[in-house]
Amino acid sequence: MSYLAQNLEGLRERYPALVQTTQENRGGLLTVVPSREGSPSATHEGRWVHSGYDPRKEAQAWAEAQLLEWKAGELAVVLGVGLLYHVEALVALKPEGAMLTVVVPNIAEFNDAASTRPMEVWINRVDWVWGAPGGMAEQLATRSMPLRFMTYGSAARLHADVHRDLEAELRRIVAAKQSGRLHVAVVGPIYGGSLPIARYTVTALESLGHRVSWLDQSPHRASYDLFASGREPRHRATMQSRFADLLSLSVVTNLAEDPPDLVLALAQAPLNLAVLEHLRKKKFLTAMWFVENYRHLTYWQQLAGGYDYWFVIQQASCIDALTRAGARQVHYLPMATDPALHRPLGLTEAEQAEYGADVSFVGAGYANRRTLLPGWLSKDWSFKLWGNEWEGADGLTSLLQRGGTRIDTETCIKVFNATAVNLNLHSCAGDGLDPEADFINPRTFELAACGAFQLVDERSLFPDLFALDEMVRFRSVAEVPSLIRTWLADSSGRRTIAAAARRRVLAQHTYAHRMSELLAAIGMHQPDRIGAMVRGDRNAGVLGQRADAPPELAALLRRFPSGQRVELKDVAAQIKAKGAGRELAREELLILMLDSYRAETRDLV
Amino acid sequence: MSRALVIQLARLGDLLQSLQAITQLRVRHPQTQLDLLCPSHLAEVGRLLPGIEKVLEWDGAAWQRRAMAAQQDLRAEHLMEIETTLMGLAPDRYDCAYVLNQHRRALVAGSLLAREVKGPLLHGPLGEALTSWAAYVRDVAQRRLGQRVHLADAFCGLCGVSPSGCVVTLDPPVVRLPDDLEPIGKQGAPWVALIVGAGETERCVPTEVWRRWISSFLVSSPQGRVVLVGTESERAAEIQAPLPPSALGRIWDTTGRTSLSQLAAILARCHRVVGSDTGPLHLAAALGRPVIGWYFARARVHETGPYGFHHVVWQAEELREDTWPVDETIAAMCEQGYRAPAGWSVWTSHCDTWGAYYSPVGQAAIPPREREALWHELEPALL
Repeated sequence: MSYLAQNLEGLRERYPALVQTTQENRGGLLTVVPSREGSPSATHEGRWVHSGYDPRKEAQAWAEAQLLEWKAGELAVVLGVGLLYHVEALVALKPEGAMLTVVVPNIAEFNDAASTRPMEVWINRVDWVWGAPGGMAEQLATRSMPLRFMTYGSAARLHADVHRDLEAELRRIVAAKQSGRLHVAVVGPIYGGSLPIARYTVTALESLGHRVSWLDQSPHRASYDLFASGREPRHRATMQSRFADLLSLSVVTNLAEDPPDLVLALAQAPLNLAVLEHLRKKKFLTAMWFVENYRHLTYWQQLAGGYDYWFVIQQASCIDALTRAGARQVHYLPMATDPALHRPLGLTEAEQAEYGADVSFVGAGYANRRTLLPGWLSKDWSFKLWGNEWEGADGLTSLLQRGGTRIDTETCIKVFNATAVNLNLHSCAGDGLDPEADFINPRTFELAACGAFQLVDERSLFPDLFALDEMVRFRSVAEVPSLIRTWLADSSGRRTIAAAARRRVLAQHTYAHRMSELLAAIGMHQPDRIGAMVRGDRNAGVLGQRADAPPELAALLRRFPSGQRVELKDVAAQIKAKGAGRELAREELLILMLDSYRAETRDLV
Repeated sequence: MSRALVIQLARLGDLLQSLQAITQLRVRHPQTQLDLLCPSHLAEVGRLLPGIEKVLEWDGAAWQRRAMAAQQDLRAEHLMEIETTLMGLAPDRYDCAYVLNQHRRALVAGSLLAREVKGPLLHGPLGEALTSWAAYVRDVAQRRLGQRVHLADAFCGLCGVSPSGCVVTLDPPVVRLPDDLEPIGKQGAPWVALIVGAGETERCVPTEVWRRWISSFLVSSPQGRVVLVGTESERAAEIQAPLPPSALGRIWDTTGRTSLSQLAAILARCHRVVGSDTGPLHLAAALGRPVIGWYFARARVHETGPYGFHHVVWQAEELREDTWPVDETIAAMCEQGYRAPAGWSVWTSHCDTWGAYYSPVGQAAIPPREREALWHELEPALL
C-alpha cells in the first residue's frame, strides 16, 4: 500500500471529506528531492521548503522553539504544511493533552506530503482545517480556547495570502466577541494630521469600554515651535530633537505611574528608539498606528524594530519594507471615521448658501491639486475651494473661501453636507493623480459618514473597503468633468450612492471597528496576555469561575463586579484598602507578597 | 521546643549587622531553635552566624518571576506554587518571626512563616504605625539625627533584646581556595585586602584613588601585599592596568572569582581590610579583622561603622574631589599617627554595655550618654 493510501486510511474516520478531496487531487505543488542525509525534502519554485541537509533536525529545532511560547490551555495553530516534518516534531514534543491544529490552504501540498512520508502514527493526534480562509477562520473560532499561531516560515510563505486572509477573518470574528477591558495608553503627536486621529482612537477605545490614558503631546506645540526659532537649521533640528527626547522621557514617566496593558502610539508620536527598547525590556507592549504614507514619511526606518506591532494603512510593499527594516509584526489597518462627529446635518438656508456649491474641494494646496483642479472648473457648475496653503494658485484664487485660512472640522462637515459633488483627490508630489495609489485617506470615510456624495480618485485598496455602488471613482483626470456633469444631473443617484457608503462606513469603517481589529490582531499573537484580556478572561467573574480557583481566591474575586477586569495589583489594592490591624487570610498574604515584587518590575524612570 | 525565625532580606552588610541581635536572642531564649531567612545568595554567610541552626534561602529572582506571571494572568496555580515553595522552606510555621527589615515583603514573609511577628510595624504587614525602634531607625535614616545607637544595636532593640556589651566574631570558614590564591596571607606582611567596589555607585572610591593608594602603600611597605576583593573585576583591572612593574607579584586580584565563603577565608587571612561602607567591610569586621573604613556619600560612622573594637573610620564631612585620605591611611597603618585631610575626620570603635560607639581618634574614649538615655526611653523593660 502506498504512503498516501496508508496515511489517508488513518484519517478516514475523522476527516472523510478531507480524505476524499485529497484523493481527488493529483498533488504536484512541491518538488520532492532527497536531502543530504537521505530523507526526502522539498522545494517550491526552486526554493527549499525544508532543509536540504537534514529536514528532521531542522524541524526538531523549530518545534523546540515553539514549545518555549506554548502555554497550557492554548490551541496551537500551525501555518505552513510542506512535508509536515515540523508537525511531526511538534506532536512528539507536545505536552499531554495539548491540542494542535494544522491549517491546510492547498490540498495539492497536503497530497504531496501524504504521498511522500509515512504519517499514520501521528496523523490522528492532530486536527486539520482546510478550505477557504473564511471557513477555516470560522472553524478555529469555534474552539473555546486561546489560539497560539506557530508559523513554519519556509512552507508558510507559499500561501501567505491565504494566511493573511485567515487572520483577517479571525480578527473580525474575535473583534466581534470582545468583552474584556484593557488599559491602553495612547501617545499622540505634538501636531499634524495624526493628532485628530489620535483623539478619535481615544474616543473609540473608550466607547469600547477600555480605560484610556491619553498622553496628549499637543500642549507642547508652542515650546516645540519656539525651539524652531533659531536661524541656523542645524541648531533648530538639534533643539527640536532634544525636546522630542524630553517628551519621550515624559511619556515614560506617565507610563511608570500608571502602567498600561498596551502603549498605542500614533504617527509622529515623540517616542524614540532608546525609549522603545527600554519599554520592551520592562515588558511593556507597544504598537504604532502609522497613519501616513510610508513613501513620504520615512522615519519608520529608524523605529521599525522599536515597536512590537506596526499597523499601517498600506499593504504589501509597505509591510515588506517595514519587515525588512526590522519590524516584528506588521498589520494592515486602514483609516476610518468617527460617525459621532462626521454625520449628516440639517442646514439652515443661510448655512446652505454659505457652505454649499455644486462642486467643492476641501484640503491643502498640494502640487497635484494645484495642477488638476483648474481643469475641473466649468461655467456649468459653481465651485468652492476650502483650505490653506493655496498661495500662488492664481487660477483658483477667486474660488478660495475665507481667504485660504485653515478651516475647522465643524466647517468641513457643513461643507460636505451642503455640497452636491465633493471632490476627493489624494495628494501627491507630482502633477497628476497619485502614481502609487494604494492607501485611502480619512476624507473618504468622513465624507461617506456625513452621507455626502463624493468623486474620489481610484485607489488599489478600494475593493476591500467599498463596493462600486458605494463610491464613484475616477481613473483619469479627463473623466472628472463628465462625471461631475452626470452626477450633478442625478440627485437621486447621488443620494443612493452616498447612503450606501454611509451604511458601509457605519457597519465596518469606524474608529471603534479599527480599534477592535487592532486589539484582536494583538490578542491573536498574544493569546495569553492581551488576547485573554480582550476575551474577558481576566474579568472577576470568569476568574472566579475557573475550575482551578480555590475558594479563598474566589472569595477575593467576588469582591469585584463580575464584569470588571481584575489583576494582581487590583486584588492587592483591595486587600490594602480593607485596612491594617486585622488578621490577614493566608491568600491575602500570598497576594501581597506577589504584589510587592510586581511593584518592582515597572521601575521605569 | 519552640522555634523562632530571624528574617533579614536586605544586603550582606545588614545581615552581618544582625549578628549581635541573633547572638542576644540566643542568650535570651536558650531553649528556642533559632533559624534564619535570608536571600539565597547570602546563605553561605548566614550559615557562618553562631546561634543559627538552619538557614532558609529566599530566592528573590524566583519570586519576581512568579509575580510577573501572576501579573500577566492571576491564576490559582500561582498561589499554589508559592504555597509549595513556602512549604519547602518551612513545613511547620514558626512560633515567632523577628523581622529586621521595614520592607513589606519581609513582614509578609514573617506572617506567612510564623504565628507571631515581632518587627518594625505594630499592626501587621499593612500597618503604618512603627514600633519605637523602627521609628528611631527611620528617623535616623531620613533626617540624619545625631545617631548614637549603632544599627546593629538597634536591631537588638527591634528583637526586644539589649546589646551584649561584647563583640561576637565569626569563625573563618574552612574552604578551599583556588590554587593560585592559596598563598594569600602566608608570605610577607602586611597583607591588606582592598575592597574595590560597592553595591551603590555613590559609595565607590574612584579607581585612580585606589591606584594611588596601592602605589603609595607598596612604596611605604616593601614587604606589603594588596589583595583586591569584591565582585567588580572590571574595576580591579582598571585599577591595576597602569601600575608600575614593581607592583607585579604584590597585587593579588581575587575579584569576581570567589564565593562568599572564599571571600571570608581570604579576608580572615589579611592583616587589614580597607574599603568603603560595604558588605565585605562588615564581613571583615565580623571575622575580627582590623578594618579601615572610608565613609562618604550617605554612609555615617555612628550608624553603620564596622562593629567591634579598634576599627578606624575616616568620615567625610564634605566630599571634595581629589581629597581622599590616601596618605593618612597609609601613615596610620605604618604607625605614624592619625591625621585627617580637609573635610574628613577620623574615628575609632569601642563597645560597652550599650553597644558600639565611635570616638575621635586620639581623644579619650568617652561613651556618649545619648545611647543610655535612648535605651531607657525605648526599652525600659529590658533594663
